Amino acid sequence: MGYLKIRNYREQKIGEAACDHFTLNLLHDDIMKRTINLAIEMITNQSGPLPCPFSFFVMGSSGRCEQSVWSDQDHGLIYYEQSDGVKSYFWQLGKEISKGLNAAGYQYCDGGVMASNLLWCKSLSEWQAQLSKWIEESSWESIRYLLIFIDARTIFGENDYVEILKKQIFQTENKAALMTKFLTNSMHLKKGINLLGQLLTETHGPYAGSLNLKEIGIFPYVSAARLLAVKENLLETSTLSRLSSIPETLMSAEKKKLYKNQFLQLLHFRLMYCRHTDYHSGHYLPVSKLSKEDIKRVKEIIKNGSALFHSVRKGLEKGDSNGHK
Amino acid sequence: MNIDFLLNSIWVMLGAVLVILMIGGFILLETGSTRMKNAGHIAGKTLLTFSIGSILFWAVGFALAFGKGNALIGLSGFFYSGYDLKGLSLSGAVYFLFQLAFAGISLTIAFGGFAERAKLGAYLAFAVLFSVFVYPPIAHWIWGGGWLAEHGSQDFAGSTVVHLTGAMAAFAATIILKPRIGKYNKDGSANHLAGHNQVFTALSVLLLWVGWFGFNAGSTLSADKAFFGFVALNTNLGAAAGTVSAMIISWLVMGKADVPMMLNGALAGLVAITASCGFVDPWAAVVIGFIAGILVFYSIRFFENRKIDDPIAALSVHGTAGVWGTLSNGLFATKALASVGKPGLFYGGGFHQLGIQAIGVVTCGVFAFIVSYILLLIIKAAMNGIRVTEEEEIIGLDMSEHGSYGYPELVKAE
Repeated sequence: MGYLKIRNYREQKIGEAACDHFTLNLLHDDIMKRTINLAIEMITNQSGPLPCPFSFFVMGSSGRCEQSVWSDQDHGLIYYEQSDGVKSYFWQLGKEISKGLNAAGYQYCDGGVMASNLLWCKSLSEWQAQLSKWIEESSWESIRYLLIFIDARTIFGENDYVEILKKQIFQTENKAALMTKFLTNSMHLKKGINLLGQLLTETHGPYAGSLNLKEIGIFPYVSAARLLAVKENLLETSTLSRLSSIPETLMSAEKKKLYKNQFLQLLHFRLMYCRHTDYHSGHYLPVSKLSKEDIKRVKEIIKNGSALFHSVRKGLEKGDSNGHK
Repeated sequence: MNIDFLLNSIWVMLGAVLVILMIGGFILLETGSTRMKNAGHIAGKTLLTFSIGSILFWAVGFALAFGKGNALIGLSGFFYSGYDLKGLSLSGAVYFLFQLAFAGISLTIAFGGFAERAKLGAYLAFAVLFSVFVYPPIAHWIWGGGWLAEHGSQDFAGSTVVHLTGAMAAFAATIILKPRIGKYNKDGSANHLAGHNQVFTALSVLLLWVGWFGFNAGSTLSADKAFFGFVALNTNLGAAAGTVSAMIISWLVMGKADVPMMLNGALAGLVAITASCGFVDPWAAVVIGFIAGILVFYSIRFFENRKIDDPIAALSVHGTAGVWGTLSNGLFATKALASVGKPGLFYGGGFHQLGIQAIGVVTCGVFAFIVSYILLLIIKAAMNGIRVTEEEEIIGLDMSEHGSYGYPELVKAE
């Protein structure tokens, strides 16, 4: 079976790649591309050649190039032409890729954000209609979908489809209202430090004593950078490149440097200290393994993350109340 | 008829009714803090064991605790027939009922340590033995004219006699029964087996809080000068301070306003003020309750980290807070209020009363623990184990011990 070969390749390479965040994410891309190629090969053998151009994109940590050793699947598919035949062809491809990724070591997404789900596998015009509907509805769920989509990054096929769709969101008529919705959907952050200045580790369960690095550490940076990206119409997806690209009128070069540095350190701590035995364990930082200095650093990172988020939040709320678009 | 006698009897009767209603509070507390599959069992066994305790206390316990005897045990008044007691200015039957209610509460607290894993038979046997061998001796020592009473030990309404005694029996049970399935992981970390209904737990606390006015203020055993009002005032302050401090400490340390912890704080405040409600000033009641709320927070974490699975926090709420409440008399008892014993450290009494209080805590605690432990080992040997099988524990004690679920539609659907 071909996918198992890819899995073996992954297992061979990942130990070495996991020493560095950027190398690791390039490897993930490489593995995913190999999987997609193989899936296309299987589907073309089965159902004939690709009927039209398409784009396969990833979202979530993969979209942001911020995957850890283990990662789950978050992806979607956009094809150019619209017909029932084309639809069933690409749906089949979406399902095959998802199956392949699972076999290659990327577990299925619990929330069903995968090209095997018709919600995330559509023609370009259907996608345009769906985004309009999500923006118009602005329900908690559709806003959540839009926030997920903002992190989309083309990994295979036509580059401009995702771009066209993102611009549609950026150019929406009442963007201030949409920004407010995006903000309120991003507000719930897990507290990481108590009033006594101690880290709030898990009290119960298999990760008792460890810090939920994903929700406490990473989310504030990711959410803040994502909100800024929408506000400033940035197509970049990684938190680091988003922070680099925002204009200095919004954030001083000094601050940008600080936050980028802190986020990079955070990714480094995750790679170095979390037990990467499976997808979940990779999110928990075993605090007892850290030196005093490192704990101090982690606290700094958390504090700066929430400072960043709150400054972005303040900025957005101010803009909104002044009627800026 | 003597009007004092009548008023005292009515007041203490009201107290007895309130304290017996606290059994309802414990039903809600214990079911709310545990899982659905055991709800019917827990509610039912609480009434059943109170009934068993009532009969035993009537036949034997009352005589051992309050009969004439020596410094260690009472020996008269078995199968109490309702006559008035010498030296008491209230109906003997009312006094009996009031004391019976206390014995019932202590027994109910002890069963907190059994929750979700003990056989029904173990409850029945222990209800009998506790009501004869554990509670009555301690009640006699402090309230029945026994050796601690002679030393001037202050326990106004039973932080030690009722709460610590029950908690130590619960402690013995948790050790012998061992943790519930799924409570601890292989690496020793604890899982949170959340109670199924926080609304029950909150209502239970309110019910207990109100019942506590009977428990503490009723312990005046008299309507004279309406001193019960002062006792009730202190009781309310202790509870309120415990609630607030447990909320503050859980917010400070865990970063969240934990509801079950806040409720445990209320109960800890009540347990602590129970010993001192008649001996201290209101400001001290606030301090005592406040400290109890903080102690209970750390105590719960302490026991959990030591792999002692205490599903409804009986050890911390009734044990730790009971010890603190009893000792607090040695610090805060005032000259004017110390009708028994001496004033506390902060009121010019030096360390004398604190020492007496400590002796009371240690001897009663050790006695309750050792006797309960031995009794449970005997029951264990006689019944071929006091814990249900793994399968029974997993399907729930509602089904294994009684044949039907407290929540039939919900549990069967799982």
